Amino acid sequence: MGLARILCLAVVVLPLPGAIEFNRDVRPILSDKCYTCHGPDAKSKNVPFRLDSEAAAKAELAGGKHAIGEGDPASSELIRRITAEKPAQRMPPVYSGITLSDAEIDTLKQWIAQGAKWQKHWSFLPPVSSPLPQVRNPSWARNPIDAFILQRLERENLQPSPEAGREALIRRVSFDLTGLPPTPAEIDAFLKDSSPDAYDKVVDRLLASPRYGERMAFRWLDGARYADSNGYQYDGERSMWRWRDWVIQAFNRNQPFDRFALDQIAGDLLPNATLDQKIATGFNRNHRANTEDGIIPEEYAVEYVVDRVETTAAVFLGLTLGCARCHDHKYDPFSQKEFYQVFAYFNNVPESGRAMKYGNSPPMVAAPTPDQRQTLDDLDSRIRKVEDFLRERDAQTADREQKWQRHIESKKPVYWAPNQGLKAALSFENDKKIKPPAFAAGRIGRAASFDGTSFLDAGHVANFEIEDRFTLAAWIYSSGAPDGSVMSRMIDQPKGKGFGVHCDHGRVHVNITSNWTDDAIRMETEQVLPPDEWHHVAVTFSGSRMAEGIHVYVDGRPAKMRVLLDSLYRPFRNAGSKFDEPFRIGTGWGPERRFRGLIDEVRVYSRVLSGDEISALALGESIPEIARKAAAERTDLEKLELHSYFIENAAPADVREASERLAALREDQEKLERSFPTVMVMAESPVPKSTFLLVRGAYDHPGGKVSPGVPSVLPPLPPGAPNNRLGFAEWLIDPQNPLLARVTLNRFWQMYFGTGLVKTVEDFGSQGEWPSHPELLDWLAAEFERSGWDVKALQKLIVTSATYRQSSKASADLLQRDPENRLLAHGPRFRLPAEMIRDQALLDAGLLVEKIGGPSVKGYQPAGLWKETSMQDMDYVQGDGEDLYRRSLYTFWKRTIAPPEMVNFDAANREICVVRETRTNTPLQALNLMDDVTYVEAARFIGQRMMKEGGATPDTRLTYGFRLVTGRFPSSGELGLLRGNLQFHLDYFSGKPKEIAAYLSQGESKPDSSLDARQLAAYASVASLLLNLDEAVTKE
Amino acid sequence: MDEHKLLMTRRHFFGVGSTGIGTAALASIFAGEARASGGLPGLPHFPPTAKRVIYLFQHGAPSQLDLFDYKPKLQTQRGNDLPDSIRMGQRLTGMTAYQAKFPTAPSIFKFAQHGQSGTWLSELLPHTAQVADELCIVKSLQTEAINHDPAVTFFQTGFQIAGRPSMGAWIAYGLGSEYEDLPAFVVMVSQGVGNTQALADREWGSGFLPTKYQGVKFRSGADPVLYLSNPPGYDGTARRRFLDDLAKLNQITYQDFQDPEISTRIAQYEMAFRMQSSVPELTDLSKEPPETFEMYGPDSRQPGTYAANCILARRLAERGVRFIQLFHRGWDQHNNLPKEIRGQCLQTDQPSAALIQDLKQRGLLKDTLVVWGGEFGRTVYSQGALTETNYGRDHHPRCFTMWMAGGGIKGGLTYGETDDFSYNIVKDPVDVYDLNATILHCLGVDHTKLTYKFQGRHFRLTDVHGNVVRPLLI
Repeated sequence: MGLARILCLAVVVLPLPGAIEFNRDVRPILSDKCYTCHGPDAKSKNVPFRLDSEAAAKAELAGGKHAIGEGDPASSELIRRITAEKPAQRMPPVYSGITLSDAEIDTLKQWIAQGAKWQKHWSFLPPVSSPLPQVRNPSWARNPIDAFILQRLERENLQPSPEAGREALIRRVSFDLTGLPPTPAEIDAFLKDSSPDAYDKVVDRLLASPRYGERMAFRWLDGARYADSNGYQYDGERSMWRWRDWVIQAFNRNQPFDRFALDQIAGDLLPNATLDQKIATGFNRNHRANTEDGIIPEEYAVEYVVDRVETTAAVFLGLTLGCARCHDHKYDPFSQKEFYQVFAYFNNVPESGRAMKYGNSPPMVAAPTPDQRQTLDDLDSRIRKVEDFLRERDAQTADREQKWQRHIESKKPVYWAPNQGLKAALSFENDKKIKPPAFAAGRIGRAASFDGTSFLDAGHVANFEIEDRFTLAAWIYSSGAPDGSVMSRMIDQPKGKGFGVHCDHGRVHVNITSNWTDDAIRMETEQVLPPDEWHHVAVTFSGSRMAEGIHVYVDGRPAKMRVLLDSLYRPFRNAGSKFDEPFRIGTGWGPERRFRGLIDEVRVYSRVLSGDEISALALGESIPEIARKAAAERTDLEKLELHSYFIENAAPADVREASERLAALREDQEKLERSFPTVMVMAESPVPKSTFLLVRGAYDHPGGKVSPGVPSVLPPLPPGAPNNRLGFAEWLIDPQNPLLARVTLNRFWQMYFGTGLVKTVEDFGSQGEWPSHPELLDWLAAEFERSGWDVKALQKLIVTSATYRQSSKASADLLQRDPENRLLAHGPRFRLPAEMIRDQALLDAGLLVEKIGGPSVKGYQPAGLWKETSMQDMDYVQGDGEDLYRRSLYTFWKRTIAPPEMVNFDAANREICVVRETRTNTPLQALNLMDDVTYVEAARFIGQRMMKEGGATPDTRLTYGFRLVTGRFPSSGELGLLRGNLQFHLDYFSGKPKEIAAYLSQGESKPDSSLDARQLAAYASVASLLLNLDEAVTKE
Repeated sequence: MDEHKLLMTRRHFFGVGSTGIGTAALASIFAGEARASGGLPGLPHFPPTAKRVIYLFQHGAPSQLDLFDYKPKLQTQRGNDLPDSIRMGQRLTGMTAYQAKFPTAPSIFKFAQHGQSGTWLSELLPHTAQVADELCIVKSLQTEAINHDPAVTFFQTGFQIAGRPSMGAWIAYGLGSEYEDLPAFVVMVSQGVGNTQALADREWGSGFLPTKYQGVKFRSGADPVLYLSNPPGYDGTARRRFLDDLAKLNQITYQDFQDPEISTRIAQYEMAFRMQSSVPELTDLSKEPPETFEMYGPDSRQPGTYAANCILARRLAERGVRFIQLFHRGWDQHNNLPKEIRGQCLQTDQPSAALIQDLKQRGLLKDTLVVWGGEFGRTVYSQGALTETNYGRDHHPRCFTMWMAGGGIKGGLTYGETDDFSYNIVKDPVDVYDLNATILHCLGVDHTKLTYKFQGRHFRLTDVHGNVVRPLLI
């Protein structure tokens, strides 16, 4: 153990050949061992001495002493204290539990002896593109990356490894660039290609594959904490897959990384922002959102903004800004105030801390897919055609309409009203089914009469939920100030659940209620309706679940409203309980508040009627009445009604048909629009919110007000940038920002080599690790920017380097000396990430359904997993068909119970931003690969392919299967073992028809009945063995 | 700390060690000898009083007023509004914040003293009463959270927001397992009859620690551990041969690459194979004598119940599993508390008490720490209408009761006091950090020294807080 520790230290901290470098050698010691007390947050501990700035560290102390006597360790208080014999004198203090090793003390002494040269923290300085280093073996290098790697190897007296064999190389690069292995045909083509650029051609093909975007997106989703559920307690479903699909497409069309970053931070604020740019901002709405009953929304509104800051800082800056939420950063030069200044950029979203229980929470946009947009365009053009036709026919039928008008003048009154989306029209004239308690003369014909105790059950004609669009309209008459419930779909009791229109001493009161006290929208008119008159009351609701989505009209005109409560989160059908209330007229508040008076012409629509349409309803004038007026005296509204009535009832057949067709098309359009997926996006509040420093980070302890700003240790906002989120994004991608390029390419490096050049990919601050190859990191950063942030070019540069192309075989000595392969004396070899393990099995089996994007799918999952721990109404409903075989990128991700086959293989849990890749090696992984139906079914298909495509003999079939899974031919020893294994399984399944049937029935798909079942079971078992090979789950 | 130490332990899971093994080491793995290992060097920091923990998490927050915190004076206050002098501006959840009245609701259940210690307990806990002298009842717990999800996350990880390791994960990381054929941290969930809240995997997750330290959920049914059973039609003899050939093939790869991950993988497959027999053997209660089921009560014969899980907890403890955590759902009694809490107690009282007795009779209680409690308490005032026989209680973070037993904790002690309304603590407050520090202390772990460097910070379960509550310790 001691040996191993020394060895890894040897890699992390180089043996010091003479010159001590502050950033590399000294700062890590000071930061880790001293800054907790003597760092940027020293004041909170009342510690007067600081070691995080040169001036403070070298300042004269009391008595003329110096902590750091340049060139003179002996006179340095710092050295005296860290070497003091007496515990009371010694630093770090015993109670801290922190100790300095002899080597660390020695480093500090040497540093002071050499003059105690100070440096600003390296990652806050702009990258310096140093000239390519001179190496002894320049012919090895294929591109500049290699010069840097080789220089270090030569310094360590190490040799690079030879290039990997072609089979290994194409498998490695296929996984790395597309997340899937190469097919045997692709391998063969590469083996046969003797052209010097054969490998480059493979790389180009892979980068051009749409799978590339899917592969890159998976890692991006980890950092962006993307999921298909809200997290926290209820963890209901949300829909952010349009954002996920945008990410895939952005990688595939090779959007320059700076624009990719800018769109996600502030695409909505760009002039004339496109839908895509708005969708991109979903990045900062991917955080968890709390819907638990009884939470204090302000508390969680703060958490969301904190999450945005932490995630943005980790992903784009490699900084742990969140550590400055409660106090000044302990290690890095970020004050608590600066944290809240960055916070302010993300704090202006018009949102509630309590999220919608189901679905997305505002702000959001409807985000039709390209297909849907196409359908919508088609519908639009068809609607335009019919409209054109009707306009044309209008002119031709004008005479006929004139005649008809004269004809109808003397007829019995008829009325016009919009019909599109009509769910119910109650006129109380001749309806046999729905009879009111009593009749009276109405606004039009008869009306329903209510005496304050009676009401009318109109049936399930208004089964709307809080996310549905609807319109309710009626005429009412009361001899006193209108009072009591007019119409509702509510549990008929005071403060009941549901929606309703009530009158309260003459005011029209509208509510949509899940829970009266804290989960409802309630509003009322400012005006009081005068008594003894008919009034037309109409309410429209957009399904937005917010007060702004409700409009109330009185007598055809928009009414001024007072919003009493605007916090609706849960649907009526809460916790799986059905909400079965009918639509009732004259009640909704229980027996105490029933309506007394007349109600007429109740109409229910499943859409939002326009103001004009409402006005038409409220006109209450019969068609003959209008017709009797001279044309010049008719209002526009009257003209509209008259003409509409004619078109729908008296026009020539072709016109009537066309008008029906138009109505149907508009209905289709409405339906289509309602089916659009939405995506939560960033937006700015029209009234800017103030941001305060929060004392100890607590939402209910505001301190001083702060304005938006970037940390002072980093460059200022670029000239001309607005001081808002857009300005922040411009600052982020500005060439002056020393972090974005380094942090981004470092994560890519981690993807390929398992560890970043800076191992702490999430922390480029003072506690982060010194880069293994600082000059290379800077050179690549400069190159990345110089290329115009060309992401594909960067990938290509890395994967075509000689460094990347090395064989991953390593000697035991080398493995001991550099167990993490930081020096890169050999190629990467490590276990594949979770998604690739599953996707590979599906591809090898021929089961993989490749379809880019769309809603997430529910693949195989052991039964009952959700039910055991979720709320009562949540159970996993497994998909079928294609859903079972999509790439893992599309697996439905429920945060509180993430897909087990992903979590078992160390997938990030998506609760919060995770950018560091980790790998463990556990028995649960073994069980998963051996027994999960996904792999048992895939093995059967691979077995099937071995039998059908692998030739006639066991050897050719075994070879075929081995190659399918590992990408290479088996050695004779391996083939021998496989042969033995096949024979074992043939014997094992012999005379076991029931077992064979059971074994072959795993999964939804059916086995090929033309194959001998025993043989198939045996080949499937061998295929399972192949999928479990270390080599199968390892990139090498 | 600990990247380096971690490197040493990264090839361990459930304590399986591998050090670049060749054939000889393989042979010893195949022999399947039980070894204890996998913890960090230097741990425990001092001799522990508990080798393991059984944590009986009562999920949803049981009412301290109806179970433990006897308030005889409250009877005269029935129906009176909770005085402002008591409430002192305490924030309320959105569920009752808008209530016009806060009618005081004394418990309708009778309390009596039990054991030599004279511990006050409600009539809802007749079995617990019989082990009163083993229990240390802490009436002065307090927390910062007022909603379930953050409150449970706070208890489990020391932080209200997701992302930190759970206590069991910290312990698995620090102390490893006593027995290599089972995980160091096992979780079991059972369903109550009262109002139920959601749980999340993060409550037993590993946060920023490697995922191998997360709790392994044992489920009732055919697969106690996910994917444990071989596919139908494929039995253990076939699996044995499968694994032998797999090991041989992987061994060829090892010869080629010398990568120690390969030998670890071989070992993990053997471990998986052993789990395929050790876990079903563990969860199969059919060989328990009838007295066991009599002791744990009628539910205990039904797999998946709290009672059956309590028996399993004892069996896990016997095998040396380090951290065993049960979650029993259904304690969230906003309405109809009297009826629901009766049901919850019928399910949990007898098994919890039986577990104490059972551990004691087997000599395990002295080094097994048992912890019982939920994520916060409940309000003295009624949520919704108060009647003679019915009331509900909202969440209450300012005071609530938990109990501990065994593993170095003083039995028969009642610690901490609340005011006459069980609304505020008047003596010896214990916060969540203190409780967690105390649990770690019993395990021989200094809570300030079990740290892990992440994002540049040396994180710990108790953040920068926590004091071991020494009066509770023997």
